[in-house]
Amino acid sequence: MLEFRTSGFNPYSVKYSPFFDSRLAVGSGANFGLVGNGRLYILNLTPNGIACEKFFETQDCLFDLTWSEQHENQLLTAGGDGSIKLFDIGVGEFPVAGWQEHQREVFAVHWNLLEKQTFLSSSWDGTVKIWTPERKESLMTLPVHSCVYSAQYSPHHPQIVTCVSRDSHLRVFDLRSKPSSQYHLQFAIPIHAPPKMALPQVHNRSVGPTESLTHDWNKYRDSVLAAGGVDGVVKTFDLRNPSGPVNLLPGHDYAVRKISWSPHLSDVLLSASYDMTCRVWTDGSNVDQGGNGAGLGRELGRMDRHTEFAMGVDWCLFGAEGWCSTCAWDERVLVWDVREFMRPGP
Amino acid sequence: MANQAGTTSAAQSRVSQVASHMQPSGRPSLLEKHPDDVVVTAALRTPITKGGKGGFKDTAGADLLHGAFVNLIQRSGIDPKLVEDIAVGCVLAPGGGATEFRAAALAAGFPDSVGVKSLNRQCSSGLMAVTDIANAIKSGMIEIGVGAGVESMSTQYGPGAVTEFSELLENHKSAAECKVPMGQLSEQMAKDKGISRKDQDAFAANSYQKAIAAQKKGLFDQEIAPLKVKWEDPKTEETKEITVSRDDGVREVTAESLGKIRAAFAKDGSIHAGNASQVSDGAAAVLLMKRSTAERLGQQILGKFVQASIVGVPPLLMGIGPWKAIPVALEKSGITKDDVDIFEINEAFASQCLWCANELGLPHEKINPKGGAIAFGHPLGCTGARQVSTLLYELKRTNKQVGVTSMCVGTGMGMAAVWVAE
Repeated sequence: MLEFRTSGFNPYSVKYSPFFDSRLAVGSGANFGLVGNGRLYILNLTPNGIACEKFFETQDCLFDLTWSEQHENQLLTAGGDGSIKLFDIGVGEFPVAGWQEHQREVFAVHWNLLEKQTFLSSSWDGTVKIWTPERKESLMTLPVHSCVYSAQYSPHHPQIVTCVSRDSHLRVFDLRSKPSSQYHLQFAIPIHAPPKMALPQVHNRSVGPTESLTHDWNKYRDSVLAAGGVDGVVKTFDLRNPSGPVNLLPGHDYAVRKISWSPHLSDVLLSASYDMTCRVWTDGSNVDQGGNGAGLGRELGRMDRHTEFAMGVDWCLFGAEGWCSTCAWDERVLVWDVREFMRPGP
Repeated sequence: MANQAGTTSAAQSRVSQVASHMQPSGRPSLLEKHPDDVVVTAALRTPITKGGKGGFKDTAGADLLHGAFVNLIQRSGIDPKLVEDIAVGCVLAPGGGATEFRAAALAAGFPDSVGVKSLNRQCSSGLMAVTDIANAIKSGMIEIGVGAGVESMSTQYGPGAVTEFSELLENHKSAAECKVPMGQLSEQMAKDKGISRKDQDAFAANSYQKAIAAQKKGLFDQEIAPLKVKWEDPKTEETKEITVSRDDGVREVTAESLGKIRAAFAKDGSIHAGNASQVSDGAAAVLLMKRSTAERLGQQILGKFVQASIVGVPPLLMGIGPWKAIPVALEKSGITKDDVDIFEINEAFASQCLWCANELGLPHEKINPKGGAIAFGHPLGCTGARQVSTLLYELKRTNKQVGVTSMCVGTGMGMAAVWVAE
């Protein structure tokens, strides 16, 4: 396990570069992101551990970041002051571009993986905005009317956008649809709904609406997503059945802050929680493991070396299938292999 | 400076956001105790007696209310001058009873500094009064209040209770439907929804049996405050003073004995005097304040008020009110029906109560465990306030915590409230 200390700054987000297997970026804020400056770290994995290649200072906490899919040296940040900034690792100490439209904290930025000239952002101001780096103004604003903690493009289709918000709903927008009073909204799935098929051995009872803090698209199955939030339960969804979750993965003692599906295995995802653990899960869909697309999910392993709220997780896209990076309010970024933390099966 | 102020408030809202992420939701969060919870420190009722025949047949509604107030002050030990407002639900009293209720409060020992109002939301008036006081406490308008309900159907039930409809209202379809008599529309609803006479009678007999068992075991003793009243013996026409200490409508009844009663509203009908709520007299009162206030004053906390809901339904289907109102109250409270231990659903008619319970999928053993209005009566304005004491004492006795009170409301509404016993 490799470790990097972000002394004086509490990380909120960690992301592997899509271009280099040894490069990471970390978004952070002083004083737990409550008040004070932010810092963007560019880290390199070296034979001598993790080295800081460069860092950028910002006026407010950086709650999220996303690497450009167009330029290997560029990345975007989501600022507490409502700003989105584009940094270039090769250019000075200031951002090369910035966008200021959100009225409150920006909580998520995501670069379109397929139409690489667009990106999106989501904010506490209750909106998701669609942007292109070439224009100062947003291309489109999708109203959600509730603090949007997480928004993403589908990795399978460039015009499908999803988000989760404080109001306990997973929304799906199709930007191809005609603008109407619905603003491209296709469904709003209640995250707190009980699963359609009651799951054995799992507490199926809904405990009511729960703030949803994170979600992620499955990288292989084009209708599958997962979301996590304040109730501590990771839930998987299948857009072919938009009435509620398909599978529940309970276990975290406190809120799930971040989840990420594996880029290598279609049934595996990683979560980070306020309970200070990061856990690896299968949603039970792996046929080789006895699943059939809708089997029972379970926890495969957990890493509990963080000593404060775990905030960010990301998988390395390259090389062996288990490498990941996590960050937490303990001012540490850890790089580790989930295979070292697996438990024996049931 | 302006900028600095902005930074501070942003930091504060970020702190409260992270704090909100740490809060459990659902039942665990419902059971948490916070200083700003609205809590009940006393809840009681008079006995409920049969209209026209029972112990309170010669007692004015305001006198029943007076009795409830006197006992509330005595039992809670509250200094009456600390109470800031009193809301009283009542349906039949002319002018809402506003004048005599104020007078009853003064006579009971509340000083003139204490406000009194009456309100009328038909059969949910008592709950509305309690909710109104709870909301006034939540908003900070008052610190301590009493929600109450009263009805003397013996003295005030009759055709005079509804004003003649104007031509305008008569000519509007759903407006005109507001004055279709309860029994008639419930008969039609029972027919339309396919609720059989047999099921209604079984439900009603069960209500009687639960009530009689509860009465025998003394399970109403905590909630009832006995009253001494004047009563005229119909045989001798002699007026004497009696102490009323139990619900006198409760009696031995079986589904078979109910099966022999003739339908009241239609020849082929299913509703009769034995499977509908009784015409009764009674009063109830609930003392409410913030938890922090209760702790400061050393008041004993019986439970807390969580949330209430009000919904509208078609006037002719007023009986389905609880079916629509209960899920709304549960959702607002962040819980599901499975989290609820006891439902107190007013038995206006066996037909509608049974239909609501079945449609919501509520287990029958969780509904009205001590019987309901079919067995001991439904003094209209009193019922909503009466349910609070019935529920909280039963939750406590059985070591349970979460309860719901609900009722259908004439002219087509439903109301429900969520409570936690402590």
